Amino acid sequence: MILEIKDLSISFGGVAAVVDFSMYQEENKITGIIGPNGAGKTTVFNLITGIYQADSGKIYYKGRDITKLPAHERTSLGISRTFQNIRLFNNMSVIDNVKVPYVVKIRYTIFEEMLKLPRVLREEKSIDDKAREMLGYFGLAGYSNYKPKNLPYGIQRRLELARALMAEPELLLLDEPAAGLNPGEVEELMKLILKIQREKKLSIIIVEHHMELIMNICSMIHVLDFGKKIAEGTPYEVKKNRKVLQAYLGDEG
Amino acid sequence: MHIIFQQLLNGLSLGGVYALEAVGFGLIFNVLKFSNFSHSAIVAISAYFGFFISRYLFPNFAVTLLMTAIFGGLIGVVIEKLIFRPIRLKNAPLTLFLVNSITAAMLVQQVFAATLGSDYYTYPEFMKETAWRLGAFTVSKTYVIMLTISALVLLFLSYIIRKTKIGIAIRAASSDIRTPSLMGVNVDFIVSVAFFLAGILGGITGYLLGMTYSVDPFIGSMILKGIIAAIIGGIGSLGGGVIAGLLLGATESLLISQIGASLTPIVVYSSIIILLLIRPEGISGKRFIVKA
Amino acid sequence: MFYLKVLEITSLYTILVLGVYLLTGLTGLFSLGQGGFVSIGAYTAAIAYLKFHVPFPLALVMAILMGMIVGLFIGIPTLRLRRDYFLLVTFGFGEMVRASLLYLAQLTGGAMGLAGIPKLVGLPLILVSIIVITFILYNLKNSRFGRNCIAIRDDELAAASMGINVYAHKIKVFLLSAAITSYGGALYAFVIMFIEPNLFNWLESAKLIIITFVGGMNSLSGVLVTSMVYYSFGEFFRFVDVWRDVLLALVVILVTIFRPGGLFGSWEIFSGNLLKKRKEEAL
Repeated sequence: MILEIKDLSISFGGVAAVVDFSMYQEENKITGIIGPNGAGKTTVFNLITGIYQADSGKIYYKGRDITKLPAHERTSLGISRTFQNIRLFNNMSVIDNVKVPYVVKIRYTIFEEMLKLPRVLREEKSIDDKAREMLGYFGLAGYSNYKPKNLPYGIQRRLELARALMAEPELLLLDEPAAGLNPGEVEELMKLILKIQREKKLSIIIVEHHMELIMNICSMIHVLDFGKKIAEGTPYEVKKNRKVLQAYLGDEG
Repeated sequence: MHIIFQQLLNGLSLGGVYALEAVGFGLIFNVLKFSNFSHSAIVAISAYFGFFISRYLFPNFAVTLLMTAIFGGLIGVVIEKLIFRPIRLKNAPLTLFLVNSITAAMLVQQVFAATLGSDYYTYPEFMKETAWRLGAFTVSKTYVIMLTISALVLLFLSYIIRKTKIGIAIRAASSDIRTPSLMGVNVDFIVSVAFFLAGILGGITGYLLGMTYSVDPFIGSMILKGIIAAIIGGIGSLGGGVIAGLLLGATESLLISQIGASLTPIVVYSSIIILLLIRPEGISGKRFIVKA
Repeated sequence: MFYLKVLEITSLYTILVLGVYLLTGLTGLFSLGQGGFVSIGAYTAAIAYLKFHVPFPLALVMAILMGMIVGLFIGIPTLRLRRDYFLLVTFGFGEMVRASLLYLAQLTGGAMGLAGIPKLVGLPLILVSIIVITFILYNLKNSRFGRNCIAIRDDELAAASMGINVYAHKIKVFLLSAAITSYGGALYAFVIMFIEPNLFNWLESAKLIIITFVGGMNSLSGVLVTSMVYYSFGEFFRFVDVWRDVLLALVVILVTIFRPGGLFGSWEIFSGNLLKKRKEEAL
């Protein structure tokens, strides 16, 4: 078990966004979190990654309590993510974007950096190699010197994935990776997620609206509605669940 | 005891002006989410405008105050149209808004310095007697007027923001500038109105400051006090800004009478840094939630 | 001789601009209190030298340290908050330094200023300083430190999610900037030979920011060029001093509207020519 969440709650200005949410994540598995808009899915991600601090509840990562850790420390422990509304660094080249998360591995000090001492050159060289390799892995090698904002949407999504993996995570959180992609691209994305999961030995949690993607690649699904978990189970179980149908279809269900 | 009471009243009247500044500043911060230093430009331009019309046109307090208020509002709209709208339409990052607002503040100050020099301009005396006697107290008329006007203006603004359609749209824009356009209200119009209202406050601020002290090119930098009030009140909380403005004015005046004018600013600024350490959300307790 | 004098003053201001380039250009933090650090640096070095007979090089070091200590006091409470707090508090900070200098009249000479500082700094030291600071900033810009800065400037939340300790990094940036600015202030004292509390008001601090934006946030070389041009212009045309700022203001507004990346975009003198870089940006 790589991640365990117990009774997590948070509210904003008196409005409960997530209420007593619990889940656990097995190693090397893909889990999905689904639910209608505003159900609190992204908030769960923000709690896991430390963007928000929970009002109550606990988060354990590899057995360690990380509930109070700041975001950057969670990244260096091996939790990485992508964003629903792509958040690349637009004033940096593609390759520099990918280099940023490697900050968690760098050993040289700021003083060596100021004077560009040999260790800086050596490490920067190896970061450069790693970044190029990562871009190559995602088929982005040709875009190294572009600015992200000038790239097509699908490419930007893939670049976010590449950047997230540069932190060498063990747990990867994908926030609506299929948003804005056409059916062909979704198909490709699905294959890509399965491939990186297998090759990089990742545990992955996906928040997604795209049912086909979720049903096809997740082994476990949690359903949120109004901040509360209303169902969990395998894709088959969730599909049959009455409450889920109601939440999604309203009165018609 | 009398002296302390007197100081308190003077402090509160200055505090009223700080409150006007804090609200004018907070209004734009709420809608566009940047610290609008160009507010000082409005204050400065209005202070000169008020001086010139009251000295050479109508030596009547009420008329010239009203004219200056409206003039300030128009200047606000013009500044928005000239330097903020072009970059807003290009979805420029907030940093550029900030740069332009600082630039506008500098531009206005330097234009006045270049054309009118560092001379002082004093408003005409509007009243024959400058003070009222209330039993044992002597109360400066200017200060009473200042406090009354600040209170009336803030009440009026509060009514507009709470009860009118455009006020409600401005409040909606404060939580998300994109939603109001969905509700069928034109975003450009909301922004213009917000700048108009903030400009009115800036105009009155300029007039009152000019009347109380005198006018010089650097009068705009007096919005620093309003900015401090906005921080104490919690940036973006208009009510907090008003309370903090009054509090700041009163405290400042008491401090000046107790520990002297040279130590007071040091104590005030240090307290703010300590306040931010203990309670960054200010007295209103309003916190911004970062959207992810 | 006159030209050397101009170059001296211009270069002195450029050191201050470099401090702002790091803080505002690279990291997106706005400080209207840089003047406070100029004063702290100038007064610390001058007082140490004049009143306590500290050797000149040590006085420079003390100025830098004093700037960094004060920077820590301002940075710790404000840098973990929304950026506006930092800006607004630094605005007040400049005033606070001024008020403190006036209050500590026995030590600082109060409103009369501090005169009688010997001219110990000449063009060679200033130019070497610029070269060393530029070298350091250029190195920082092109490795982890600079990537962190730009990431924080572009998107603080994403930066934190990518493993950057945003708060700690901002403090490092601010301290380094305070160090550069205080050092510049210390040199200033020993060039101009007279300092007073109004030496560097918020407007002067604002100009440093504005120059950075005109030059281009991503172009250290562009900022250097802009700064040298702006300040030498002021020395050549003293009689139009204020109008120079009016002109600068108009240029800024045009630049933010029509060339938001600054006049020089991402150009660096050390890495290829202007045209080639422009083409890459267009991609």
